Amino acid sequence: MSDSPPSSNGMRRKAVINFGLFSLFFIFYLGAAVIQTPTFKDVAALPALGMPLGMLLSLLIFPASWLIMIVWFWRSK
Amino acid sequence: MNLKTLFLALLSFLVPAVALAADGSESGELNIPIVVGFILFFVIASIFITWWTSRSTKSASDFYVAGKGVPWAQVGIAMTGSYLSAASFLGCAGDIGVFGIDSIWLSIGFFGGYMAVLLIIAGPLRNIGSYTVAGALHSRYPDDRIKLAVMLCTVVISTFYLVPQMLGAGLLFELLLHWNFVWVTVGLGILMSIYIIFGGMKATLYNQVIQASFLWGTMVILVTLAYFGIGNGSFYEILDTANQTVPPILAAKDPAVVAAIKGLPADQAIATVRQMMPDAPSTMTIGVKTSSTMAMVSTVIALVFGTAGLPHILIMFFTVPSARAAKKSVALCIVALGIFYLCAIVLGFLLFPGIYPKLVAWISQGPVGVGMAKNMSVLEMSHKVGGTWLMAIGASGAIAAVLSTSAGLMITVASSVSHDLYKVYINPNATEKQELGIAKITTLVMSAIAVSLAVMLKKENIAWLVMLAFGIAASAIFPAMCSTLWWKRTTRQAVIASILTGLGVSVLFIVLLFVKGAKYSLFGLPVAGGPGLFGVVASTIVLILVTMVTSDTGKNPTEFMALAHRPDTE
Repeated sequence: MSDSPPSSNGMRRKAVINFGLFSLFFIFYLGAAVIQTPTFKDVAALPALGMPLGMLLSLLIFPASWLIMIVWFWRSK
Repeated sequence: MNLKTLFLALLSFLVPAVALAADGSESGELNIPIVVGFILFFVIASIFITWWTSRSTKSASDFYVAGKGVPWAQVGIAMTGSYLSAASFLGCAGDIGVFGIDSIWLSIGFFGGYMAVLLIIAGPLRNIGSYTVAGALHSRYPDDRIKLAVMLCTVVISTFYLVPQMLGAGLLFELLLHWNFVWVTVGLGILMSIYIIFGGMKATLYNQVIQASFLWGTMVILVTLAYFGIGNGSFYEILDTANQTVPPILAAKDPAVVAAIKGLPADQAIATVRQMMPDAPSTMTIGVKTSSTMAMVSTVIALVFGTAGLPHILIMFFTVPSARAAKKSVALCIVALGIFYLCAIVLGFLLFPGIYPKLVAWISQGPVGVGMAKNMSVLEMSHKVGGTWLMAIGASGAIAAVLSTSAGLMITVASSVSHDLYKVYINPNATEKQELGIAKITTLVMSAIAVSLAVMLKKENIAWLVMLAFGIAASAIFPAMCSTLWWKRTTRQAVIASILTGLGVSVLFIVLLFVKGAKYSLFGLPVAGGPGLFGVVASTIVLILVTMVTSDTGKNPTEFMALAHRPDTE
């Protein structure tokens, strides 16, 4: 295992990638959760791909997470 | 008495104990010998694995972190098992079966937590390396008060998480098989204590791998059979049925409806209820269960940041050989959890065309019936699509879920008490042997406490304790851990203040829950939503403010950051 320390730029790049991807995930996740509440139920009930929009966005969290994970592994090589 | 003799003696005690727990039990639909057979398989497998791993568990490193050399795939599967509790296996689908679409966020919420673990915590935490979560923070800030504060959080979080597991297992088998509640919980406590005491983390991990594989496989097989057998292989058809279905929680309120659908097949029952309640919402209507956007936000925050602060998940990163291995284990866990929770959602909607009349009949019995509908509907569905064999496998899957989660919690508490309390405050000169002895005693004490609390709280609805555990982890552990690993400016005082603030807000919520009840609101947030929102915000603000006015950034923060974020290599 290498013990060479990361450069300041390398560390910053890593932080930007990690926190950037996490923010992307979290905004999507929180947004989908909020749409699925009674306050936004009219928006959530709009039809999309044969199901309510709220449900579609909620279910999309699974593939979106896997996609973000793949991007992260690729970018952090 | 040598170790082999001891294990044979334990085996000869536990096997009749399971039989004794089942003694005199009768269930109209369930084949008891098959269930007992599957449970005995787990008991025997656990004891064999413990005996096998105990031969190589010699040092503190072996006991606490399995020698830090476990392959990432094994840890990934074990992590999946540690996270999938009985609530995930039975409750996620069952809750949809009671309330409808509002409950899909139970599954999605639990799933989402691991992204923070992967992207922010796993790699740097493994690079720091320790035996406990407190140890990782302490390596930057050598202040014993940090160890004490995190140890306290670990014990509280793990106890809140553990008691519902034991209670759930006892209730499940009391309802399902009419087994004695106390015997079931005591038996589970003994079994887990055995494999933690003798096999440490290695036995815990190997057992979790078997239990997780069984649990995950059972869920996938069950959903596949139900999807093609009951859902005709079409998700849209399943949703169409859900669109016509009156939520069982509403249908069960009308005795005339309950009487009218008694004995009817599910499709006719759904049509009958719709005719009798034409204006009622459907199971696709939002708002049957969820009433507050604030509560939803708080729950989501607790789940996302809480998972990244759960000590029994975080210590698993110390068992793999490198940071890259830690990340790969979390990635495997995220894929496995995603498939599992997607299955749970589909299964939840399949409950309507599958067992709708049964759901309504259960719920019409009152609060106990609602609990039955939530916890028994997956097993009822197993029986419908796969007969008594699949139902027996499902019941064993629930036990596997309880065992894998509870064992992870218990070894975390044992490690924390012996390493962060005993070794630091009580006997700083303790030998490794003495420290391990305390860890083993703690396991026994923790087991006894969990069993006692489960027996004492049997009549209480304590499902919210798990959510509270996530809330405390999110508030007290995550902000401190995240900033320690990523922000060089973070100070020792800020970390302590942040942990205490998170813990304080959480304690306030616990007190309000007990004194005022779950419906009481604090600044617009129902306390049932948990301390997540206020706790995370408050502890983060305190962390930033205290960092700005203090200067002790720890023992060589530059070196710490270099270690935490060194390049990944295998």
